[in-house]
Amino acid sequence: MSTTSPSADQSTTGSALATTGSALARTDSAPARTGSALDADADRRLTYTPAEDVWDEMLAAPGEPRAHWAPLVRWLRGQGKTEMARRWEQGRRLIHENGVTYNVYGDPRGMHRPWELDALPLVVSSAEWSRVERALAQRARVLNLVLADLYGPQRLVRDGLLPPELVYANPAFLRPCHGITLPGDVALHVYAADLARASDGGFWVIADRTQAPSGAGYALENRIVVSRTLPEAFRENRVQRLAAFFGTLRDTLRSLALRHRENPRIVLLTPGPYNETYFEHAYLARYLGFTLVEGADLTVRDSVVYLKTLGGLEPVDVIMRRLDDAFCDPLSLRTDSSLGVAGLMQAVRANNVVVANSLGSGVVETAALMAFLPSLCKHLLGEELAMPSVATWWCGHDEALDYVVEHLEGLVIKPAFPVFGHEPIFGSALSASARDDLLARVRARPHEYVAQEQVALSTAPVWNQEGLQPRHVVLRTFGVASGDDYRIMPGGLARVATSRDSLVVSMQRGGGSKDTWVGSDGPVSAMTLLRPPGAPIELTRGGSELSSRVADNLFWLGRYIERAEGTVRVLRVVLARLADEASGSDVPELTTLVAALAGHVGLEEGLAPPVGDFDTATRERAVLDFLRAHAPARALRPTLASAQRLGSILRDQISLDTWRVLNQLEDHLPPRTALHGVTLGDALERMNALVLGLAAFNGLSVENMTRGQGWRFTDIGRRIERALFLITLFQETMITPGADETRSLEALLETTDCAITYRRRYLGTVQPAPVLDLLFSDETSPRSLVFQVRALAEHVERLPRAGGEALRTTEERTAIAALARLRMARPEDLAAVGLHGERVQLADMLADLGNDVITLSDTITQSYLSHAATTRALSGYAFGGSA
Amino acid sequence: MNYRVRHMTRYIYTHPVAIAHNEVRLTPRNGGVQQARRTQLAIDPAPSVLSQQQDFFGNTIHFFTLQAPHHEMTVTAVSDVTLWSEVPAKPADTTPWEQVRTALSQDLTATGLDAFQFVFESPYVRWDEDTVAYAAPSFPAGRPILEGALDLTRRIHADFKYSPGTTSVATPVHEVLKDRRGVCQDFTHLQLACLRSLGLAARYVSGYVLNLRTKPSDKSGDKPADKAETKAPARMAGADASHAWLAVYDPATGWTDLDPTNNTIPSDQHVTVAWGRDYGDVSPVKGVILGGGTHSIAVAVEVLPVS
Repeated sequence: MSTTSPSADQSTTGSALATTGSALARTDSAPARTGSALDADADRRLTYTPAEDVWDEMLAAPGEPRAHWAPLVRWLRGQGKTEMARRWEQGRRLIHENGVTYNVYGDPRGMHRPWELDALPLVVSSAEWSRVERALAQRARVLNLVLADLYGPQRLVRDGLLPPELVYANPAFLRPCHGITLPGDVALHVYAADLARASDGGFWVIADRTQAPSGAGYALENRIVVSRTLPEAFRENRVQRLAAFFGTLRDTLRSLALRHRENPRIVLLTPGPYNETYFEHAYLARYLGFTLVEGADLTVRDSVVYLKTLGGLEPVDVIMRRLDDAFCDPLSLRTDSSLGVAGLMQAVRANNVVVANSLGSGVVETAALMAFLPSLCKHLLGEELAMPSVATWWCGHDEALDYVVEHLEGLVIKPAFPVFGHEPIFGSALSASARDDLLARVRARPHEYVAQEQVALSTAPVWNQEGLQPRHVVLRTFGVASGDDYRIMPGGLARVATSRDSLVVSMQRGGGSKDTWVGSDGPVSAMTLLRPPGAPIELTRGGSELSSRVADNLFWLGRYIERAEGTVRVLRVVLARLADEASGSDVPELTTLVAALAGHVGLEEGLAPPVGDFDTATRERAVLDFLRAHAPARALRPTLASAQRLGSILRDQISLDTWRVLNQLEDHLPPRTALHGVTLGDALERMNALVLGLAAFNGLSVENMTRGQGWRFTDIGRRIERALFLITLFQETMITPGADETRSLEALLETTDCAITYRRRYLGTVQPAPVLDLLFSDETSPRSLVFQVRALAEHVERLPRAGGEALRTTEERTAIAALARLRMARPEDLAAVGLHGERVQLADMLADLGNDVITLSDTITQSYLSHAATTRALSGYAFGGSA
Repeated sequence: MNYRVRHMTRYIYTHPVAIAHNEVRLTPRNGGVQQARRTQLAIDPAPSVLSQQQDFFGNTIHFFTLQAPHHEMTVTAVSDVTLWSEVPAKPADTTPWEQVRTALSQDLTATGLDAFQFVFESPYVRWDEDTVAYAAPSFPAGRPILEGALDLTRRIHADFKYSPGTTSVATPVHEVLKDRRGVCQDFTHLQLACLRSLGLAARYVSGYVLNLRTKPSDKSGDKPADKAETKAPARMAGADASHAWLAVYDPATGWTDLDPTNNTIPSDQHVTVAWGRDYGDVSPVKGVILGGGTHSIAVAVEVLPVS
């Protein structure tokens, strides 16, 4: 049955290619549907027109899907554009909610750039995949043996199998790593290869990644999103699961531990939140159950690597690094690195820690190696190389250079040692003079260049508003060492070019990605990363292993959330009063509320114009402006942005739900651009929604977080901020009572969410003493000042302390004193107004408490959170020499 | 000649240092005309961890860690070394430089490969057209390599001003070439860049030189040996630091040392401690500290002839 009859619709695509167009959604394969209404038919018509001379992943010929794509194509035919669009909207929301990001250097969206994922997967048949698996495992074994040789006897160089330039001129060959022992003879623990399909349909390898390959975590996240968006097609395709691969990765890393073999501590070393793939580091750490660390979290003592935790130093057995090796040790490697761990190399040499991949493993990433891989494979394994690399010429050999000069048209020139950071140059795109320049440069230093055949990439369909579009695709595949072989992830991270004609496939350049589905012949095995039920495991309650840096972030997360909540609560009351004022009634308490708000967010002016010198419209505009203000740092938007930033740094610490809540907080603010449309009512509604969002965060942390030190620091942050907020509020509204105090007391009760409790207790009139009792001294009210201080006193008593000192710490003494002060105070005395119309005792009390809380915050920071300053290099010393 | 070398390095910090990891290359190499009889390394305060190993170039490294808070650290190496003078290769008898270049890329013996690694750019030795142009007059076609190298040494000595304090360890070669001034490691990096830009193998050598003020031509006539013990750690001009020079490779005659700072072929007055591609591979004392505030350094080197 043919699906190729071009309809009038298709001819509107206009190009010469239209005749090759295939209407995937022609319903002839599902006759029951042909009778449906015309509209529905148009909706279902998904056309896809790949170029004729390019291998397309999905279509073998116009309108003829390859066999392994058939289930997905059948399913697509059953859906319409509208349904696909709806599904994909869902998928995109999932990406946003999960906070999948990729940092693009120099992108204005910076750390919040959402991950680009296409709705449709790349499908690979199980038969082809088993060939791919064997070939990649073989390649990884060869590269591992090459690494072991280069950092050991270097026989391959002496035997003429590898040009010495590729080692000695290669900046990625790290001499200090020469001679380190490789447990189990493995240097290459995690391997990645980029595959492209040649025009004859065979795969070839276009790049090897042997240093700290990225992408496996994104592949997993892609899988989660796409399998949820297209569950029926996912089931029908019998897609092989990824979990087993990560299980092997975890087992391999565990097996590397030289000590604590039962329960080794494995950390994932990240360069930090500004790295392009930080999301993935946090994601993988959480998924694999490793501790996410930055270099400053680790320290070397007695040639052992330790993690700095709240409870002291904890030994580290295995480091999975996502930091390039040259940056890993500022003592023995790059001295300008501030990301590494001084002394790490010595710990490795002393066999006290294992780093995966082994330090120095980047040396075999050079594209020049591809020219020698077939003979290396034969020499080292006695086998033919199973999957070819893209044809590569290393210019350091005269014959190769001659070939390159003659055939430059069809070649791409690349630096052999990409550390120098040169871009690939397409021979076909060069003018005569540019060509001469290039050849002169190559001839001057031939060993620094390689030439590769310009790769013809295959295309795969991507989904966009218009339907399906062909895009060039590259597949990144992953392997992990297991015993003396490698296990290959069934699938991978497919990356697609940004536009139809582009051959540049790069996430850094804004390209997209795809899930990759590898079919299975038998039933799909479902495994999870949870341990088998029978396996013995050492019981632990954890808590003190929290690193100081993480505790610091949790502390500030608690503070930011509570600070935002305070701001929103006042704003809500202010907005409601402004609405009243607009309707003509007199609202005297507005001034004190605005002053409290300004005090809370550290705003000197702007919000509260001088008394008597403002009109309603001015004030309204000031408040609405404030909603979207980027300054001061304590204003609402920057505070929420800070909370979200911490959330993204703490991805490995907080639950997915918590992260989703955090990620959506800023969405409640009016858009930055269209402020003019924001009315008081709209703003009020947004603040109500925001209060709920913040409450959701607090609720999740109360109900979901184990009461470990992480939770404690979050709560300490929250209590400190709430106490400071209450103190500001009292100072602005109660110290100098106005003529009509009742109204500002009512506003105070409203702001603190205590109005109902007050009314239940006192029914009628609002008076200072009972208000103070409720908001100041009532230990049962979670919004009272005493409640915050008591919680703080309880927290500091339970913080870990060095050597179990018997004496009370400064923070304990501060908290106890503040609590006693609060408990001793009588609300009636505090409410008494002195001769000058001021509540003097209240003012003194608030000033003292303010100092106490700030002292508490400072001492906790000093004792537990301040990063003991990061290490730095001693200045080297100049040679004087004799003249 | 027998020498006793005393090399003292002291770091003084304004704030306590919690932990310090250090890597030092202070043990003279053994071999050739030099016999390093022994080196005593004294570290104050005493380190918690001390280990010794050879680096990729065969230099001796000591690693040590100070784990107790300290306000200053002193590292003193005292080495006893014997140097024999050797008649250097006759420059005219050495291999024409183009032949050296060709031979280097084809020699897969251990010696050949070891030399070949010193042909390439390294972090502190990079070159451009200006470097190539500066080197060219010394290397006309067919000139024996050592003749060319010596001529280059002489030109650098003549063209460049010895000017302490105007450059740092990180001053790039092209800047030295432009400003025509520097100290020993600048001249060494420059000559390395010139030689390597021609495809020749040349390595950086760090070590000590006998204080040249003891030579009769020196006007002061002050013999530092007499006062050395009492003056330390005060700095003495001319002998207060490590020295640097280079060596160039000829497959026929092996490595020959060249000192562009003094326009000499080093023989029995240069004590070799370590060699590598450039300063970065051989820096005598490296450290990474936690804490410390700001710090100052005092260095004292004495090379004393002993009988």
